[in-house]
Amino acid sequence: MAMMPKRVKHRKVQRGRIRGKATRGNRVVFGEYGLQAVQGGWISAQTIEAGRIAAQQYLRHEGKLYIRIFPHKPITSIPLETRMGKGKGEPEYWAAVVKPGTILYEVGGVTEQAAKLCLARVAYKMPVKVRFVRRLPTT
Amino acid sequence: MTETLHVKRREGIGSRAARRLRRQGQVPAILYGHKEENIPLSVPVGEIQAAVRHGARHVTLQGDVQEEALIREIQWDTWGLEILHVDFQRVYAGERVQVEVAIHLRGEAPGEREGGHVEQVLHEVEIECSATEVPEELIMRIHDLHVGQTLTVADLSVPPGVKVLADPDTPVVHCEAITEEEEEELEAPAPGPSEPEVIGRKKKEEEEAQED
Repeated sequence: MAMMPKRVKHRKVQRGRIRGKATRGNRVVFGEYGLQAVQGGWISAQTIEAGRIAAQQYLRHEGKLYIRIFPHKPITSIPLETRMGKGKGEPEYWAAVVKPGTILYEVGGVTEQAAKLCLARVAYKMPVKVRFVRRLPTT
Repeated sequence: MTETLHVKRREGIGSRAARRLRRQGQVPAILYGHKEENIPLSVPVGEIQAAVRHGARHVTLQGDVQEEALIREIQWDTWGLEILHVDFQRVYAGERVQVEVAIHLRGEAPGEREGGHVEQVLHEVEIECSATEVPEELIMRIHDLHVGQTLTVADLSVPPGVKVLADPDTPVVHCEAITEEEEEELEAPAPGPSEPEVIGRKKKEEEEAQED
């Protein structure tokens, strides 16, 4: 089952716009390596799940995977062959709003080479361009 | 490790001046501490990047200002590629300072061969040490880490003259056994409700039902 909020204040929300770059959630915090979005976009719960499975299948019992995004946004759609109007459509799926710079996944407890191969598999699943990043030096 | 940085006093204040400075290959910086005057500076980008790459925390400032300083904070851009701003704190040669240093794991845990996986839960720790002898990193040796065991701050290899300020019982790394649940989760996660609960909706509906 893909990720979804347990409780929400509103069943439907407006689409909104993705403006600017990520000023939070843009650093590797839990693991040693991460996958950072270069573009903004919506990442659906199914896509997040697909990325998780791709990473877990590669990692198997080594290392630890951290998912840094959560699909908070309900995305609605109008059924096919329906006339326009009659209000907003019904929620179809959930998505995470991702700004450029957001860390999507993190990996820890593996070598850099393994982390690169693991996150490259995840990158194939992502609808946005991504890059491999390391933890920044401590200051 | 000490690096020398050739700094200049900077006149312009604000984001536009800072941006102009960065275009000229300089990084805006500030020098403060010891209840003396705050001095806005600029540092050549190559020098500060090299200092950070070499893990230097204590630096000698030369040029318009000649002082010993500690790199207290570095601001990075969104991508973690460019340094936007640096904070220097004035220090005396023998002064003791409190800084955060990275913890790195060394060795191979026997627990990994026993069917567990090693997870580092603490990556940085606050220490107190001489300003000129800030260690680049603290080492945690994990060659005795078996499944179900946890190594704490007390197990860190600390160089002489360094005092760790964190609670000695704080876990740093542990080796946990891989449970079968994780394997099941990988294949087929448990199904859940199709739509989340809407906050406040039930109450309204109940009230309406009572009114009727």
